[in-house]
Amino acid sequence: MILLKLIKKFGKINSIVLFICILLLLLEFVGHRHGEFKIEEFLFFPALFGYISCIIIFKVGVALRSIFMRDEDYYD
Amino acid sequence: MINSLPPGFIMFIGAFLIPFLPKLGRQVYMIFLVLLSSFSLFNGFGTHLTINVLDYNFIINHSDNLSLPFAIVFHIAAFITIIYGSHKDDWKENIAVISYAGAAIAALHAGDLFTLFFWWEATAFTSVFLILSGNSTRAYRAAFRYIVIQVGSGMFLLAGAVLFLYTNGNALLGQMSIDDTSGLLIFLAFGIKAAFPFLNGWLQDTYPEASEVGTVALSSFTTKLAIYALARSFAGTDILIYIGALMTFFPIFFAVIENDLRRVLAYSLNNQLGFMVVAVGIGTELAINGAVAHAFAHIIYKGLLFMSMGAVLYRVGTCKGSELGGLFKYMPITAVCSIIGAISISAFPLFSGFVAKSLIMSSLGYEGLSFIYFMLLFASAGVLHHSGIKIPFFAFFAHKSGHKPKEAPLNMIIAMVIGSVLCILIGIFPSIFYQILPYSVEYQPYDFSHVLSQLQLLTFAAFAFICLWHFKIYPPELNSTVLNSDWFYRRMFPAVISNIVDGLKILNEKFSLNCFRSFSTIKNFFHDIMFENKVIDREAGFDTQIVLQIFGIIVFILIFIHLK
Repeated sequence: MILLKLIKKFGKINSIVLFICILLLLLEFVGHRHGEFKIEEFLFFPALFGYISCIIIFKVGVALRSIFMRDEDYYD
Repeated sequence: MINSLPPGFIMFIGAFLIPFLPKLGRQVYMIFLVLLSSFSLFNGFGTHLTINVLDYNFIINHSDNLSLPFAIVFHIAAFITIIYGSHKDDWKENIAVISYAGAAIAALHAGDLFTLFFWWEATAFTSVFLILSGNSTRAYRAAFRYIVIQVGSGMFLLAGAVLFLYTNGNALLGQMSIDDTSGLLIFLAFGIKAAFPFLNGWLQDTYPEASEVGTVALSSFTTKLAIYALARSFAGTDILIYIGALMTFFPIFFAVIENDLRRVLAYSLNNQLGFMVVAVGIGTELAINGAVAHAFAHIIYKGLLFMSMGAVLYRVGTCKGSELGGLFKYMPITAVCSIIGAISISAFPLFSGFVAKSLIMSSLGYEGLSFIYFMLLFASAGVLHHSGIKIPFFAFFAHKSGHKPKEAPLNMIIAMVIGSVLCILIGIFPSIFYQILPYSVEYQPYDFSHVLSQLQLLTFAAFAFICLWHFKIYPPELNSTVLNSDWFYRRMFPAVISNIVDGLKILNEKFSLNCFRSFSTIKNFFHDIMFENKVIDREAGFDTQIVLQIFGIIVFILIFIHLK
């Protein structure tokens, strides 16, 4: 019941992505995941790296708006 | 004789018959030219044609394991572009597409620097008409800037080639070093076309101004020709690793804030070139394989993304994220193809981007370049953000835009489906794909660690976007211009020159110095060119270029005769 409510609130596709995310985290315990570098073998490293990168890109992008954004006809 | 001509030459020459053919005959003829040209691919490796002029051997047709994969994918790209553009009855654009593709393919088979220079310039002069086919004042001005920069690259190449010939006694296209002046000049020439940081302004400035077909053709050839040239002459040059890493890094942020979706793709193209440049910089067999594989896969999925956005532009009339949305209902096939392109470029397992990018990431791992590795990993998350999500999401989903277009024309759909199928096939059968790469390397992209790491990285990056969008933190797209390195020559330099001239003029008036009298004329000249207050006469612009070209060639011949 609570789960259905959550899905309704978060949207179907979003819930599916969330479900896949959880599944991928669980897969970490199925086999040994080695990486090119030692630090990559840290638990959930790629997941954390991906999530944080995306937030940083968004934050920096928004900050850059004030510096690099001009009117549409700036060069005209 | 025909067999010994370089592939692409027949396309370049055959283009001149196009105006005399009817519309349907033209399309069939162009495809016929591509097929005819592709036959010379199977000539085998080695030098097939040299021409001796003025005691100098021009190596016109030389093929080896590095040029072959590029030549194959250039033919595929030409084929797809022709199908994609066949709804249009525009012989000028047709000529531009086929001769541009032909020149690029022939350039791959140049064995010496002067032959390369000829085709290098040929790609510039043929492709500028694709930008002009955008058919707007903006497109015309962009074309003018484009040709100046492309010819500039050619001039660096010519200067480098002449110096190289002078110091080494030959001008063979082989491994070079940036420690000599000649090597540095040639490196710069390649760097301009490969859109190195601060030399990249032309790419984002001009590609989105071309027609929908023109952009697809442009995205395939020029920049990848530069990657090929770098791989041939500067493989293993350390500085390329850092240049490439910067190239992957900075365009991400600009792509996030850019509104024009084709310009977002141009930033993303720049970012993808960065991956290839890093791989060329590493220079090991695995890395060169990675660069070539990535260029191969990239031409197809980037073409696919540009095709889908071109279809949207063709049907809706705009490509701005702020004015699009909700098109999935009306253009479902285009949307699905765009999503396949987006998944491929994001390097999801089972798609072409994954099998190509893995080679580069692994070669970084083997060399122990951890910092660059994590920069590229960060860039991979960025690719997902701006190409993987932003492009399909803002065009086909997001909010309702009110546009109710028809599905793309049949020929466009066919071209996009071919691209999509290739993306998937390369992803599913990497071992066949790896066979055409320059070196035979045993490599298995699909193992538990690779696949799980990549999936975790990408799905969590996507999940971050979902959270930002769901909780309404992600700002809406805004109509805007984003400043890029073209600002330096479109705004800063003209302003600086204008101020200096103003200052001198004041000095002149105060002290009535005759020698400064002509400065006001110079100032007006710069105003006309740079600030574009007056529309420059179209022919005059090209005349200047042609005069410059002829001047360059005369200088070259004089030096050449002098050396002999």
